[in-house]
Amino acid sequence: MKLILTLLDKTRPLFQEGGRFAALKPIYDAADAFLFSPLTRTSRAPHVRDPLDVKRYMSTVIIAIAPCLLAAIHFFGLRVLAMVLVSYAAGGAVEVLLAMFKKEEINEGLLVTGMLFPLILPPGLPLWMVALGSAFGVLVGKELFGGTGRNLFNPALIGRVFLALSYPRAMSAGWIEPGQGLVGRALEYATDAVTMATPLAAAKSGTWAALPKLFFGNVTGSVGETSALAVLIGGAFLLIIGIANWRTVAAMLGTFVIVTAGIYSGDPHAIIWHLLSGGLLFGAFFMATDPVSSPIMNSAKWVYGAIIGIATALIRNFTGYVEGVMFAILLGNIFAPVLDELFVTAHVRRLREEG
Amino acid sequence: MARLKGGYNIGLAGRPSSRVVDLPVPSRLVLPLASRCFRFGDIRVEEGARVSAGTVLATDPTRFSAPLIAAYGGTVRLDRVADHLILESLDEAPPGGLSGSDSAAPPGAASGSQADARDRLVSLGAWPFITDARTDLPVDPAATANDVIVSTVHLEPFVASADALLKGRLDSFVRGLEHLHELTQGGTVHVAVADDAGFATELAGLIAEHSWCRLHTVVARYPFGHPLLILRALGLGRDPKRPVWAIRTAGVLAIERALSSGAPGVERLIALGGPAVSEPVHLKAVVGYPIDEILENRLCGDDVRVISGGIFTGSDVSPGQSGLDAECEGLTVLRELGERHMLSFAMPGLSRSSYGRTFVSRLCPGGPPERLNTSLAGELRACVSCGQCIDVCPVGILPSVIHKFLHADEIDEVERMRVDLCIECGLCSYVCPSKIELLSDMCDARRLIREEHEAQKKMELKAKLEEEKRLAAKEALAAEEEATA
Repeated sequence: MKLILTLLDKTRPLFQEGGRFAALKPIYDAADAFLFSPLTRTSRAPHVRDPLDVKRYMSTVIIAIAPCLLAAIHFFGLRVLAMVLVSYAAGGAVEVLLAMFKKEEINEGLLVTGMLFPLILPPGLPLWMVALGSAFGVLVGKELFGGTGRNLFNPALIGRVFLALSYPRAMSAGWIEPGQGLVGRALEYATDAVTMATPLAAAKSGTWAALPKLFFGNVTGSVGETSALAVLIGGAFLLIIGIANWRTVAAMLGTFVIVTAGIYSGDPHAIIWHLLSGGLLFGAFFMATDPVSSPIMNSAKWVYGAIIGIATALIRNFTGYVEGVMFAILLGNIFAPVLDELFVTAHVRRLREEG
Repeated sequence: MARLKGGYNIGLAGRPSSRVVDLPVPSRLVLPLASRCFRFGDIRVEEGARVSAGTVLATDPTRFSAPLIAAYGGTVRLDRVADHLILESLDEAPPGGLSGSDSAAPPGAASGSQADARDRLVSLGAWPFITDARTDLPVDPAATANDVIVSTVHLEPFVASADALLKGRLDSFVRGLEHLHELTQGGTVHVAVADDAGFATELAGLIAEHSWCRLHTVVARYPFGHPLLILRALGLGRDPKRPVWAIRTAGVLAIERALSSGAPGVERLIALGGPAVSEPVHLKAVVGYPIDEILENRLCGDDVRVISGGIFTGSDVSPGQSGLDAECEGLTVLRELGERHMLSFAMPGLSRSSYGRTFVSRLCPGGPPERLNTSLAGELRACVSCGQCIDVCPVGILPSVIHKFLHADEIDEVERMRVDLCIECGLCSYVCPSKIELLSDMCDARRLIREEHEAQKKMELKAKLEEEKRLAAKEALAAEEEATA
C-alpha cells in the first residue's frame, strides 16, 4: 500500500500543468482518487462529515448487480463479461475524453452506467454495437446534459433506445438460448449458441413459459433480467441499505399488478407470469430507482412509480412492442420534472401554513 | 407539542462525562472583544490600570451597553493580542458568588422592582442570555414577552449538557424560572427537557405548583433543542407579532445568581470533548480563560483543530491566541486529517458511523462511537439527488433544491422554497455524499434575500420621496398659476 502511494506521489509532477503527461491528468486523478481517500479537510462548519461519499454510493449498486451478473454468465456464457468490459471501455473513453476536454474530474456515475447498460441488451448482440450504444448513452444521455447528476434521462436507457432504433434487427435477434444444468454456459464463450424468442414474444403467439423457469432465469431475454431470483436478491439489498427508494419500486410493481389483473380479469397465473417475465423487475429495482432521473420528493416517487407501472402494462398488452419497461421508464423520466414542480410547490405551501 | 421530524445524532467519540473539574486561577485572562452577538467596542479601562474583580472592562454600545466583566482582579494590557483585552498578574481570590451556592433570597425579595431587576441583569452580564426566539439575537432590556422558551436540550457534540449544569442546582434553576415569569410580567414559561434527561422527574415535581410553567418532553436528537423548533412545534410561530424569548439552562442559572446573590455572570460551565481529548469532562472556567491553559495536558496528539462550540455550528480558534468568549458553551477538539487510506470507500466499515445504511456497522448498533477527524470524507461532486439532506432537515425545507436554484441565480425561487425557515443546524452539509457545502448555501441564500429586501425597501422609499417631491412641485406650480391668474 505504501509502495503504491509513493509511486503515485512520485509520478504526480508528470501529470501536473507543464508535466509530460499533463493532458492525461483526469486519468491520473481518477486513479489516485479511486485508490486512496483524499486529503481534503473541512474548511468550515460542520467540522466533521459523514463517511458516505458518491464513490461508495455508486459502488453499492455494483454489489447489488453482482447476483444478476453471475446469473447472466451462467445462462449466457463468458460473452457477458466481454460485453461488460466493452461497455466500460467505450463509455469510459467518452468520459475521459470529455474530462480532458473540459478539464474536469472523471465522475463515478460511469461505474453504474457502464455496468447496467450491457445487462439490458440481448446477450448475442455484436460487441461493436455494445460499444457504440455505451458511448452514445454516456455522451448524449449524460454528458450533453452536463454530466452525472444533471441528466434528465437514464443514460443506459438512452443508449438502448439508440440501438433499438438504429439496429432493430440485431436488437431483436440476439436472444441466445440459456445454458442448462449446473454449469450452464459459464465455461463457454457462446458465440455459436442457438437463438430463440423471448418469453414475452412467444406469449404473443400463445406459448407461455413455465413459472419456475422465469423465476430462476432459465429463459432467454436481456443479459441481466432473466433471473427474477437474482434481481430480487440484489434489489432487496439496495432497498435494505436505502440506496434505492422503496416507494418507486412499490408503486411501479403495485400498479403493474393492478393493471395486469384488470387486463387478465384477475387470473393469478397471468399476473405472476407477467411480473416475473421480461425486464420488469430489473427495471423496477435498478433503472427506475436512479435518483438523478427520478423526482426528488418521496411523495412524487409514488406517482412516478405508478406512471411507469401502468405504462409498462399498457405497452406490453396493447401495442406492437412485447416489452414496455424501457419506454415506460423514459416516460417516467419525462414526467419527473413536472412531478417535482407539483409536489415541491405543494410541500412548500404546507410549510407556509405551519408558520 | 407537535412531533419533530428529521434530526440526527452523530456517533462522535469523546462525549464529556458529567464530572465537573474546577480550573485553577489562570496565569492571565485573554478576553475576546467580539463574540457571535457582541462587539465590546467601548473600552472603559486604561493600559496598565489595576482593576478589581467585577469591574466592567468594556461595553457594547450597540447592544444596551452589555458589559465585559473582569472575573479576577488584575492589570490591564491592551493590544497584546489582536481584538483581545488581557488581564495580567491576577488576584487569587475570585469575586463573591462565583461558587454559585444554593443559599439565596427568594425571588422578589432581593430583586426589588422590575426596572431594578432588569438593570441588575444588564450590569451583571446576565441579560445577554435572553434572546429573541425567532432571531436568536439578544433582546432589548426594555422589551417584554408573552412566552419564554427554556431549552435544556443541548445535544450538539459537544456543548455543556443540562445534566452537568443542573447537578445539585435544580432549586436555583426553578428560582430562575420564577424570575423569568416575573420579568415577563406573568408570561408563560415553556421548559423543554430531553426524554433521556436524568433530572426530568425531579424538575416536574418542583414546578408542579406553578401553573405558568409547562414542561415539554423532546426526543433527544440533534438539533431538537433549538428554541425555534420548539417555538414552531408549540404553535407559537403562527403570530409573528407575539414576542417570544428563548434562554438556555446556563442563562437561567446566571439570571438566578445575579438576582438572588448579585454575583456577576463571569463563570461558565463548559464541555471539553472530542476524539482528540484524553479525558472528556465538564470544566468550571471563567470568561477569558486562556484556551491553551485549558487544553494543557488534556489532548492526545499535536495536529488538532480546536473548535469553540460544537462541531456543527462552532468555529475554530487558535488556542494560543484566545480565551473563552462570553457565549462559549464548550470546546471540541478534533484530529486534523493526516493520512490517506487505500480503497476506504469499498471497506465494510465496521466502525464507521453513518447517517445512511451503507456501512456494516448498521448491523450492530450501539457500537463504540467513531473517532472522526476533519476529513471531508470524499470528493466534491454534483448533487445526485439522493435525498438525504431533505430527510435529515429538521425544518422540512429542501436543501438540495435550494442549492440548485441558488447556483442558477434564481433568488425568487430560493425565497419561495422557504429558506427563511433554516435554523443553520448544519446537518444537510454533514450528510451530503457529494460533500456540497449546503449550510453555506443556506446562509448565503438568506443573506442575499435579506439584501434584496433591503434594496427593495430603499427603492420604494426613494420612489415615494420622489413622488412626494413631484406632487409638491406640481402643487407649487398650480399655486403659482393661480397666483398669476
